[in-house]
Amino acid sequence: MSNALETNKLSKRYGRTWALQDCTLNLPARRVAALVGPNGAGKTTLLHLAVGLLEPTEGEVQVFGCSPLRQPTEALPRLGFVAQDTPLYKGFTVAEMLTLGRKLNPSFDDAMALARMQKLGIPLERRTGKLSGGQQAQVALVLALAKRPDLLLLDEPLSSLDPLARREFLRTLMDAVAESGLTVLLSSHIIGDLERVGDYLIILSASHVQLAGDIQEIAKTHKRLIGPRQDEAAVASVHTVIEASHTERQTTLLVRAHGPLFDPSWEVQEVSMEDIVLAYLSQQAGDRWPMPPSVREQNGREVFK
Amino acid sequence: MTWLTWRQHRAEGLIVLVVLAVIGVFLLMTGLEMANSFQQLVLSNCLISKNSSCGELEMAFRIVQAGPLLALALPLLLGALVCAPLVTREVEQRTHLLIWTQSITRMRWLTVKLALVLGAGLLASGALLAVLIWWHSPVAQIFGSFDASVYDTSGPVWVATALLALALGIFAGALTRRTVAAIFLTMVLFLAIRAPVELLWRPNFETPLTVTYAIDQQNPPALSNQDWQLTSGFIDAQGNRSTDFRGSCTRDETLTQCLQANGVQANYLTYQPGDRFWTFQWIETGIYVVFSVLALFAAVWLVRRLN
Repeated sequence: MSNALETNKLSKRYGRTWALQDCTLNLPARRVAALVGPNGAGKTTLLHLAVGLLEPTEGEVQVFGCSPLRQPTEALPRLGFVAQDTPLYKGFTVAEMLTLGRKLNPSFDDAMALARMQKLGIPLERRTGKLSGGQQAQVALVLALAKRPDLLLLDEPLSSLDPLARREFLRTLMDAVAESGLTVLLSSHIIGDLERVGDYLIILSASHVQLAGDIQEIAKTHKRLIGPRQDEAAVASVHTVIEASHTERQTTLLVRAHGPLFDPSWEVQEVSMEDIVLAYLSQQAGDRWPMPPSVREQNGREVFK
Repeated sequence: MTWLTWRQHRAEGLIVLVVLAVIGVFLLMTGLEMANSFQQLVLSNCLISKNSSCGELEMAFRIVQAGPLLALALPLLLGALVCAPLVTREVEQRTHLLIWTQSITRMRWLTVKLALVLGAGLLASGALLAVLIWWHSPVAQIFGSFDASVYDTSGPVWVATALLALALGIFAGALTRRTVAAIFLTMVLFLAIRAPVELLWRPNFETPLTVTYAIDQQNPPALSNQDWQLTSGFIDAQGNRSTDFRGSCTRDETLTQCLQANGVQANYLTYQPGDRFWTFQWIETGIYVVFSVLALFAAVWLVRRLN
């Protein structure tokens, strides 16, 4: 199985609201993937579905070929999860949290956990409720890493941390990735950090997956076109126009190119990852980006929803 | 899981032990006093023929009237304060997201927790039951085992009551997911099941026996002190029973004449004989066990589906 996480038309509805709809994506193993999207886009729902905390309304989700909900004994030991705001038992000491990890996980790496706590300077006898927010996040991360998971999912672990704690958290994470080659899916709305650690990007907005792919590939194919004011229809017939803005004399397009750009009237610029993400996220909830007809036949599979 | 359950509930366990110890000391002190009074009752033949000095001795047993309160309050507190927060505390502190994503399944987490908490609760109630049986044995011999102050705390009904309170606490927690609401719901559900069973159903687990006696008979036929008298009243010529007398007597009539004038043919009283005690205990135990099992199954189903 080359994919760590696969979802097929995965949907989750709460009452009459769809939290996630028609989500189909494959996360290849050994990737560090960033899951970005605005608040309420369905990031947490997707992660909870992936670790079996939620039951899908429709569709399915598989982790290394196992359903986390129907085959928990196979799936759970391979999963590490750090929930939003990194919940811990506040009355437990750090040492007791490690005991918990050891008692509930057959492959728990106690030595590694202790070594990391020592390296981070987190006192083992202190109650977790008395630790700083950054330290609590670190304890939650070390606990998840010591489980020796094959897929680690982190739900907004950085949002409540100050920049220094954020950097240290990511360092612990990247150390572990370098050592063990685990797959990571990290949700966040802080794009800068993700670009630093991730090599795969999933954009979730308005309950739908808008884009999923290798970050370098995305950077390579997304371009900004600047040219004299004109209609974008000609470009849209070959490439996918994500965003278009017009001034009196000038037209600026953000496109996903499906081949070389021949028209010399356009000035082609590189786009930062942040601008790409923002372009996708700033669209209205109902917007989709259809493939130009020519590309749809070539690729056989739609990338855009 | 055993370690985690112990770590999360050890403080509560300690409190329960302290409470049990305090109650134990209290029962020991008052129990010795009662045993002593009982000995004197036997010596002065009070059990056979009652005379004026017996009333004084019987005062010593008033303390036993706290029994029904104990029988309801202790298990209810355990259910509301230990079992109701079992699920809600995890959800409120969001630690269910942590604990349900370890290598053990959610169902294993729940079943081990339930087994240990319920097991400890039943063990505690069983230990207390042994002391209680010794404590109110003089009262049982004087007033009968069906006496409200004895019945609830002298057999399997007591343990089943504890089980019911604990199971309802767990169910309420899984249903509401909020501690305060769960505590409130536990109490409401417990009383809603317990009160009708005790007040309406228990006297009729089996058809009561009836004795009739002539209206000129001064005293009703003596029941054994182990029998449980339920009602008494009048029977008219058609054989209809009524518990209250709807008529008026004039001054110059004797009571017998007055009753006759109002069509009363005979007196009756109904009772449950003392030898039905264990049958009644097991019937009521069965009722509480059924409710407990339903509550526990519902709790498991709710936790399995909890999002």
